Amino acid sequence: MQLKKRQSPTFQKIGAPLAAATCALLGQGTSNEVRAQELQPWDIDTSLLIYSEDNNRVQDISLNGLARKELREDSYLNLTLAIDTLTGASPSGAVPSTVVQTFTRPSGDGQYVIGAGQEPLDDTFQDTRTALSANWEWPVTRLALLSVGASLSDEFDYTHTGLNAKLARDFNNRNTTLSFGAALANDTVSPVGGSPVPLAAMLEVGNDANKRGDQSKDVVDFLVGVTQVINRHTLVQLNYSLSQSDGYLTDPYKILSVVDPVTGNPVPGPAGSGLYRYLYESRPETRDKQSLFGLVKRDFDGNVLEASYRYMTDDWGVDSHTFDVHYRWNFDGGKYFQPHVRFYQQTAADFYERVLFNGAPVPTFATADYRLGEFDGLTLGVKYGQETSSGEWSARVEWYTQTSTVDSTALVGSLNTLDLYPDMNALIAQFTYKFGGR
Amino acid sequence: MRAKLSPRPYGWLGSFEAMASPCEVHVADAERDLAERILELTVAETRRIEAKFSRYRPDNVVHAINTAEGRPVVVDDETARLLDYAAQLHQLSHGRFDVTSGVLRHVWRFDGSDRVPTRAAVEALLPIIGWSKVRWRSPEITLLPGMQIDLGGVGKEYAVDRAAALVRPLSSSCLLNFGGDLLALGPSSAARPWRVGIESLAGTEAAAKQIDLASGALATSGDARRFLLKKGKRYSHILDPITGWPVPEAPRSVTVAAPTCSQAGMLATFALLQGRDAEAFLEAQGVQFWALR
Repeated sequence: MQLKKRQSPTFQKIGAPLAAATCALLGQGTSNEVRAQELQPWDIDTSLLIYSEDNNRVQDISLNGLARKELREDSYLNLTLAIDTLTGASPSGAVPSTVVQTFTRPSGDGQYVIGAGQEPLDDTFQDTRTALSANWEWPVTRLALLSVGASLSDEFDYTHTGLNAKLARDFNNRNTTLSFGAALANDTVSPVGGSPVPLAAMLEVGNDANKRGDQSKDVVDFLVGVTQVINRHTLVQLNYSLSQSDGYLTDPYKILSVVDPVTGNPVPGPAGSGLYRYLYESRPETRDKQSLFGLVKRDFDGNVLEASYRYMTDDWGVDSHTFDVHYRWNFDGGKYFQPHVRFYQQTAADFYERVLFNGAPVPTFATADYRLGEFDGLTLGVKYGQETSSGEWSARVEWYTQTSTVDSTALVGSLNTLDLYPDMNALIAQFTYKFGGR
Repeated sequence: MRAKLSPRPYGWLGSFEAMASPCEVHVADAERDLAERILELTVAETRRIEAKFSRYRPDNVVHAINTAEGRPVVVDDETARLLDYAAQLHQLSHGRFDVTSGVLRHVWRFDGSDRVPTRAAVEALLPIIGWSKVRWRSPEITLLPGMQIDLGGVGKEYAVDRAAALVRPLSSSCLLNFGGDLLALGPSSAARPWRVGIESLAGTEAAAKQIDLASGALATSGDARRFLLKKGKRYSHILDPITGWPVPEAPRSVTVAAPTCSQAGMLATFALLQGRDAEAFLEAQGVQFWALR
């Protein structure tokens, strides 16, 4: 028996002669550019993000997936899943010292030792977070789009549940869009080893007299925004948002050092603890934030500039400015290159203290969390992407540096010789792959 | 049936029957007057083409050619362009697309039944099939006695393209759909493409595929409804004019995207004529297509 392998014939390309024949039939100028795209049952976006702070501080590996399905025309279901794995150490808030310092771990079942001159980092910081969200958007009228959603996230010491809704209504030949949004969240904190009594002193291993149970907070957000098409090339957007938090807003793992106001050295802690004196931080139980956001998007011959500015102010005394600019250069074959610059600046919270001085009255609220201090942040990045017939992939690399402002009142005695405000640098790498529809 | 214009959320839908197909004209972002003018233009051009080239009419150029009994017929410019086009398609398809193959319908009736003709009946027709037997010296055409031409294989797409050319100066937010052969002059409004469904094979309501079309044409060839079924064997209505028999193993439906409806329709038809190699043929052409088997 003879077996023949069948080969597909090679085909003559008839596109050009067929186009010529059609042109002869119909005349010039009847041709249309073809812009057709098949809708896929699901659009899927996936990304892997690596965030890495220097000096063995926080490392985050984050896997994200977004699935989008068109239920009916203009009606979409969006599902997201994010899994983050955090490792590394984070600053506890205590200041470095010229002496060796010993700390009780948040869990209360062990200690860690920080050498002289070293920044106190809590290296037990490790967590995996899983977050899910679902969102449904549909047109309620021809010009109004409503979306409602729910979110849920869980990590071993934190649970978040949230609901949100947003209404967008077009006006003015669809050149103007007004948006209104609201979101509610309820979060529960179950700190490892319990939640410390605010401003209580750190105790020795095994002593949980200063710890309490789970805590919770509620957050309500409102947003009102307007998007305006200026002309074929330009679009502007302006948003105002208000966020009110109520409940436990303290970071249960952050502490403050109490030092001698002359020598700058740590002072002894509670009798029998064998520790220096460290107080757990304390924050107000409410926080109201307001922010104003403006964005301009402009097309320059197919390349797109997007520039935005955000001003945020809250009743903790934190004011921030964020400037963000990126420019997307589009090249032939669906390739693009996008540089990105972001500058961030914030003032310190009213109750931010780098250290507390022994003998001075203890304030009602105090934190040494660098994220509530005064600092500047600069992000520089580039992104390269390639659209393909089935989707798009892109790779992004960014470098972030954060410089805290030195408060000279904290620099007493030996603290003058130490770096109380070390810079923080982080590298961000992200790989994204989209497939399905557009 | 008279043409009808009805309001739609996006604008206007004009509908009428022509060329044995439901025809639609979708106009977005327009006043009623403009939509009416576009519909009138489209209906008039489509009816003109149908009247002039339908093989069912006793008073047109196709009838004159088909009943000339071997005598030469001199044709007008438009007919000459269509015959030139038919000649080029015949050459490009290596004889597989042939406007003289319509006589095969005397023995092949694709009504879903099992009435497959005898080999002898098919063979008896082959002597009067073949463009190469036609003497075409523009503007003069001569068929052998008994031969017929049928421009039905290009007529509907030609009508879409012609109507589109007339509508183009009036609107770019317009979609013409003549029985599934369609052309978008531009998106329905800024950056909003038209949503087009390709019929699924089972004939269910749900579209098998959905395509967003911002501009360009889509044409579909297939035998979703027209076929014969005998002893479990399916006979497609795509006939090979060289053998007189259906092309085996052709996809049930092929939809192709192209700059004009004529190109899209031809590529879809050529693909079906390739039978099992339909997809490979379209891959080689580098066009967007959707084949259902």
